[in-house]
Amino acid sequence: MTAINIMFGLAVGFIFGYVLTRTGITKYPRVMGMLLLKDFKILKFMLTAVTASMILFHLFGDLGLLKLVPKNLDWGKLVGGLVFGTGMGILGYCPGTMAARIGQGKRESIFAAFGMLLGIFIYALMIKPVKAGLLSTEISGDISVHLGVNHWLTIIPAAVVFAAIITFFDKKFDDDRHIF
Amino acid sequence: MKVESSKEWHWFAGGIAVSALSVATHFIFPAIAGRNYPFGITEGYGYIAGRFGRLFPGLADNPAIRRFTEKPDAVTELFILVGVVIGGYAASRLSGTRAPENIPAVWEKYHGKNPIKRYLLVLVGSVLLGYGAALASGCTTGNILQGWAHLSPGSIVAGASFFAAGIVVARILYPRVRGGNDGD
Repeated sequence: MTAINIMFGLAVGFIFGYVLTRTGITKYPRVMGMLLLKDFKILKFMLTAVTASMILFHLFGDLGLLKLVPKNLDWGKLVGGLVFGTGMGILGYCPGTMAARIGQGKRESIFAAFGMLLGIFIYALMIKPVKAGLLSTEISGDISVHLGVNHWLTIIPAAVVFAAIITFFDKKFDDDRHIF
Repeated sequence: MKVESSKEWHWFAGGIAVSALSVATHFIFPAIAGRNYPFGITEGYGYIAGRFGRLFPGLADNPAIRRFTEKPDAVTELFILVGVVIGGYAASRLSGTRAPENIPAVWEKYHGKNPIKRYLLVLVGSVLLGYGAALASGCTTGNILQGWAHLSPGSIVAGASFFAAGIVVARILYPRVRGGNDGD
């Protein structure tokens, strides 16, 4: 059981790290270029993955082959999201790309991994007040449940909007242009 | 300074590959990990931080540390993280684009070669990144690549917050970057 978990984990992680690196998503200038709203390759990559997964998850979900697990909404998502985004803006990478960068020989990211562990440890030490203050009012279920509509009435418009955003930025901005 | 992109995969190929991986994990995870949960990265770091916390007897009952180390897929999440490091290594070697560095070249160009200044900011940034990922229960992988595809209201709020804060910080760090299609 554990051997299977280890092999599966390594395989999934390997493919993920390989694809992120080969697509250029782990590059500091790409992440900072995106946050400066000048380089949209990462946005196009993310929205492509999200759109394809959104359709497939729900399609397989409807066929009973797959169980969807939407994350709850609580104040931690907003506050934690803003704290995370501040860290991502300072670093120029996120936790997944940080791990891939360690493999690529970007030495600073090794130091960042220890900082990330420290941040999670501090979170654990503060869990009681945080739970009471930010994680108590949870809203569960996906967005279609709250809108009170069939989920395809959310998925199809969302897919159209994402495709339009991708097309717009792909036409207007060249991935190879000089930014920094 | 130009991004060397001639050897990069197209964004569409990368996006479809990650989506295929996400869907595959949804089928394989319930079978082997005993729990249906989309793959994430933060939980791998959480496992290591939780193991460290367990060294302190006073933290044995800490609910966050218990969750990070005891959930059924904790070991799998740890090895996903290890796999990402190996995948990054293999990709940089096999593509012939391996370029080890201490601190990012773009940072040096705009903020000087002094590594201490960069490392101090990296310490602040990475602690915030870890704390924020734990509080938002997921990072870019879990909350956007997975959470947005699940149409989770929580992930939509988290992902939007990542970008909102990141955009503000990037503008503070690089106020004079003017490149673009309009020339530079």
